[in-house]
Amino acid sequence: MSIKNQAAIVGIGDTPTDRLGSKPGEPRKSSAEYLSWAMHLALEDAGLSLKDFQGQGLGVTIPTAYPQPFWPEEVSEILGITPGFLLGGATGGAGAVSLLGGMSAAINSGFIDLALVIGAAAPFSEHWGGGIQPGDMRDWEIPYGTMGPNSKIAMVMRRHMHQYGTTLDHLGKIAVAGRYHASLNPLGYLRKPITIDDYKNSRLVADPVRLLDCVMPANGGKAYILASPERAKTLRKKPIYLKGFGERSNPSYGPRAGSDALIMGVKDAGRVAMEMAGVKHQDINFLELYDDYIIVVYLQIEDLGFCDKGDLKFFENTDFTFKGQLPIQTGGGIINCGQPSTAGGVHHILEGVRQLRGEGGERQVPNAKIGLISGLGVLPYGKNLGCCAVAILGNEV
Amino acid sequence: MTTMAEIDVSKPLPAITTEAKPFWDAAAEQKLMIQRCQECNAWVWTPRPACNECGSEKIEWTQMSGRGEVYSFTVIRQVVGRAASKAFEPDIPYVIAWVDLDEGPRLITNIIGCPVEDVKLGMKVAVQFEKASEKIWLPKFKPS
Repeated sequence: MSIKNQAAIVGIGDTPTDRLGSKPGEPRKSSAEYLSWAMHLALEDAGLSLKDFQGQGLGVTIPTAYPQPFWPEEVSEILGITPGFLLGGATGGAGAVSLLGGMSAAINSGFIDLALVIGAAAPFSEHWGGGIQPGDMRDWEIPYGTMGPNSKIAMVMRRHMHQYGTTLDHLGKIAVAGRYHASLNPLGYLRKPITIDDYKNSRLVADPVRLLDCVMPANGGKAYILASPERAKTLRKKPIYLKGFGERSNPSYGPRAGSDALIMGVKDAGRVAMEMAGVKHQDINFLELYDDYIIVVYLQIEDLGFCDKGDLKFFENTDFTFKGQLPIQTGGGIINCGQPSTAGGVHHILEGVRQLRGEGGERQVPNAKIGLISGLGVLPYGKNLGCCAVAILGNEV
Repeated sequence: MTTMAEIDVSKPLPAITTEAKPFWDAAAEQKLMIQRCQECNAWVWTPRPACNECGSEKIEWTQMSGRGEVYSFTVIRQVVGRAASKAFEPDIPYVIAWVDLDEGPRLITNIIGCPVEDVKLGMKVAVQFEKASEKIWLPKFKPS
């Protein structure tokens, strides 16, 4: 089934991110406040009001630190919406892109013609106790002293360096490009440009993963509004169409009990999305890749087929800045703009929309017509990331 | 105010779920057992109620050689996060590894019995069980 050009993003809302609450006595905001703020920014951007969303679609990313099973319903109440179609984005950091596909399908069916997708989290200003939930992490990882996702991604990174000879110079190039873009983004949080040496000399967090390899948790809220093409034409901003969508959750390349941990599900999610959109690699003007770690951005560039696996020369020869051959992370990614839990996945969509509207300011990709967005979630027991979603956005039908 | 003394600093233990009980029973007898599908021959790991390659419910616990090699690893030099992590502080530095058993399945485990600097990718290792409680013996690996 194709949902090409059947829905368009017509509004975006992006609160500044912060880390308030990391020190005692700091003023702080709740998740509810970031949600409301992000929604109002998106409504204003689209020229819509709350009453437009009654009986329509609402998608809510489910944060990792707040295991309230009825969170999407509670968000409806916080925002004052009675949705006719309520979805929770349960694919972790991929949730925002997954919901883009799910809501576009619902719009394509005619069941709704408008949807708000929203997420927020305040990990520094709100502290949920939370226990260790049942599953592989509790039974087969934590008893060995694993320290969250850092431990597992460190093994992925070391394996890639061993197998292909990848160095910190190759990886650092991604980090430097992202930070450069954040320095040009008013919504960036880490905005001081860095050099390859800064990257190489940053503190080891989980050998070989360094501080500048890692995403930066933050408080914040993010939202976007989707509409049918007919409805989109009546609104104030240039519609940004969903042209292609693909998703792979729980991918395995090789036996499930011992797969190739260096291949990501974006390999197939990206292929499906590009086929739906009818675009080839050379048609894509920029990439906004989910960036929980630098190595994860690197692997996605390979697995999306922009180069062969282990093609070090490609990384040596390609300019990844907004002026280059393959612009990536044009807003700085969540490594530099902050990750409000799974709502971080909304960042890449919002930056893609800005670029395609021509609102990229000092970091605008020239003549941007098509962008590729990815979302990723979950680091499972013995593999690479467990939820992968890819969207192709474009500013023309 | 919570004091350190009130925080539970014992190491977290796995829950013995019904599907994993045969694994832990065997581990207590120093045997490494993994499920294998009797229809498609796939290894099923971690323990599951049915084969997650073909769906067959005909899966049997099978004893492994206990030999494998290091697919990748990291060295833990600081604890972060949950209070329970503090229990690992005395062990620092220690190695978390993915070990690929000779038969195929990949385990998250610790490499023990050598300095952390000696651990290498591709290194041959063999299982050694460490007692974590009366019922739980964790399979760890040492150079072989």
